[in-house]
Amino acid sequence: MDFAFTKEQLMFKKEIIRFAKKEIVPRIQEHDLKKQFDFESFKKLGEFGILGLHFPEEYGGSGADVITTVMAGEALGEAGVDGGLTLAYGAHTFLCADTIFSHGTEAQRKKYIPKLASGEWIGCMGLTEPNAGSDVASMTTTAEKKDGKYVLNGSKIFITNGPIADVAVIYAKTDPSQKHTGISAFIVEKGTPGFASGPNLIKMGVSTSQTSELFLNNCEIPAENMLGREGEGFNMSLQTVEWDRSALLAPFVGASTYMLNRCVEYASSREQFGRKIGQFQAIKQKIANIRIFGEAARNLVYRIAWCKNQGRPMNHLEAAVAKLFVGDWSLAPANDAVVLFGGYGYCHEYDMERIFRDSRLAPIGGGTSDIQKMIISKLM
Amino acid sequence: MNYDFSDKEFNLFVEIHTLMGTFAKENDLETKDAEKSEKNTRRALALLSRTPYLTLGIEKADNYNGLLTLMGGMETIAAASPSLFLSIETSTRIFGRILSAWGSASQKEKLLPALLNGQIIGAVGLSEDAMNVDNDPLMTTAVMDGDSAIISGHKQYVVNGPVADWLAVAGRLDGKNAIFLVEKGTQGLSIGGKAATLGYEGVAISNLMFENCAIASSQVIFPENDKTMLTTLKLWENQILIGASLGLMKRAFESAKVYAKKHKTGGKPIIAYQEVGFKLAQMLTLFQASQLFAYKVAWAADAEPKDIESLTLCAKVFCTEAAEQVAGDAMKILGGSGFLSGNPVEEAFRCAKYGQIAGTSTEISRVKIGDSALGLMK
Repeated sequence: MDFAFTKEQLMFKKEIIRFAKKEIVPRIQEHDLKKQFDFESFKKLGEFGILGLHFPEEYGGSGADVITTVMAGEALGEAGVDGGLTLAYGAHTFLCADTIFSHGTEAQRKKYIPKLASGEWIGCMGLTEPNAGSDVASMTTTAEKKDGKYVLNGSKIFITNGPIADVAVIYAKTDPSQKHTGISAFIVEKGTPGFASGPNLIKMGVSTSQTSELFLNNCEIPAENMLGREGEGFNMSLQTVEWDRSALLAPFVGASTYMLNRCVEYASSREQFGRKIGQFQAIKQKIANIRIFGEAARNLVYRIAWCKNQGRPMNHLEAAVAKLFVGDWSLAPANDAVVLFGGYGYCHEYDMERIFRDSRLAPIGGGTSDIQKMIISKLM
Repeated sequence: MNYDFSDKEFNLFVEIHTLMGTFAKENDLETKDAEKSEKNTRRALALLSRTPYLTLGIEKADNYNGLLTLMGGMETIAAASPSLFLSIETSTRIFGRILSAWGSASQKEKLLPALLNGQIIGAVGLSEDAMNVDNDPLMTTAVMDGDSAIISGHKQYVVNGPVADWLAVAGRLDGKNAIFLVEKGTQGLSIGGKAATLGYEGVAISNLMFENCAIASSQVIFPENDKTMLTTLKLWENQILIGASLGLMKRAFESAKVYAKKHKTGGKPIIAYQEVGFKLAQMLTLFQASQLFAYKVAWAADAEPKDIESLTLCAKVFCTEAAEQVAGDAMKILGGSGFLSGNPVEEAFRCAKYGQIAGTSTEISRVKIGDSALGLMK
């Protein structure tokens, strides 16, 4: 066992933090308040190389290993980047682009990956439906093959980047008589007749990410837009889980470090009863709780990253453990941070209320905590 | 980065598991009888001396990963018997490390081989009434009289106190921190009876009294760094308590899982009910998070020791609190049978509280973690 990061990884992390603090963080509060996507920041993530970090250079990426890629997510969180932007990045890079890269033809890769890696195009992934959330197999969106084309009908919901995406990976049933094995994956581009997104859904947190329904109404796409073969869609969606349990969880770990640092700053400057509040044991206890959570969560997230980097098949139990831990155990430290800041913690200006709201997604998105418990209890 | 133990480490854990698992089945290791406790510890030490386990953290062992391998081994032994674990580790890893890290060549030569061969038991007298978050000066003191150091003072909650052949006692001499090596039977040393405790009943814990207790000056140790002696002793104790927590969780979780698969109600095993299955899922999550945390701090103690005190305290708080949660949940899964005395889960539940109190208590740990983050660490 060896928990060391390489010098290069640690240097890269510092670079990302420096970049994000300068180029992204100053605009977060404004966009969060307005619940607007920050296109400029997203573009800058692309220019810095984060959006395509793990893709090969020939596709516009940097060829980074999985651990470095996950570390980039942690660095963004640590810099103070909001959960909305990191979620948009996760949905774009891992749920959309990586699915195309991992299962697409060479033509599909060449067409989409460079544009997605640079941030010129924004991607999304449509899996969840109004009546098919955790129970994916019950989806009712269909893809019927007609005259060498596929005709898609149905709707998707809670789609991150839905209103702003240029390209979507859409899961639909090519064989409605089957459950999981009847699901296939397709690439659908913005502007395709019959393909539309709903308005941005107003959410409790991760407000800068744009979330909507997607509607497919006799939406015809060329047959070559299928990813892989018919019936392989469910397994593709499962493969994104590895990224979901590592790269998409990493920003929550980073955010805990950001909270810790901000709480330390505040507790070191705020005075009450004639002394810095950091000198009170109750404040130290809150700071300790935030650090303890972050340290514990980091190990679980990088275990998934390391296993993926080794090329091992995903351990579903360990992945669910990581998701459950970050989901359920991140709430108390976020609460501690708000309370530590007192009245200021409840105000937008001091970031803690935003992180508190953002952290509420952790036990819901990408499979609720209850679903993780179900997976774990079935696998043990 | 590597999240796997090596094959050699894994084989060692299997060997220890087999040795201690068999020993635990054949003997009452949670006995309240101090004589039986002593016998158990001596036999267990003799068994373990056949493996490299006792040398880990004390001497360099080829192809093992120092404290990290040790943490994996500690988890295995603590799962077999919490009491035996605490007794063995106090003797080997605290008494032993005092000798190996700070002892003179002659002190090492005299005691270390016997300790690592399982021939003697060690104890450490550290806790005193007035100890607190600021590590105020110890009240146990010695004065030199010719070639002798004359010790006076009182120690409490000394693990192995009644059964140890040698005691390492923390105190003050000439205005500095020191460790006094006191052999059992030395005049002026009084050892209290075995204390009745909530958990770890198989461990002999007692008070020590020193009244003009004379030892040779060659039995005095002055640690390299006077200022960090107490912190280092606490660090070693905290590492043991982290290992103990892993073992308690393993014991409780495995028992609950087996029970939940076997015990049926409504025609199906109770693990099939979400109330039980989800509880087990949370327990496993806490257990795995604790394991990785413990391995990480064990690794960091050797590889990246700069922040080791506060990082270890973080793991200590997390693992010891997780142990109580997991053991408590396990008891609920076992229902009435979990409440019966003498089963592994009930034992784990009673032992778990000790981890939060002993070493650096979880309350003081959080204060120190906060101090470290705030740059206030003394």
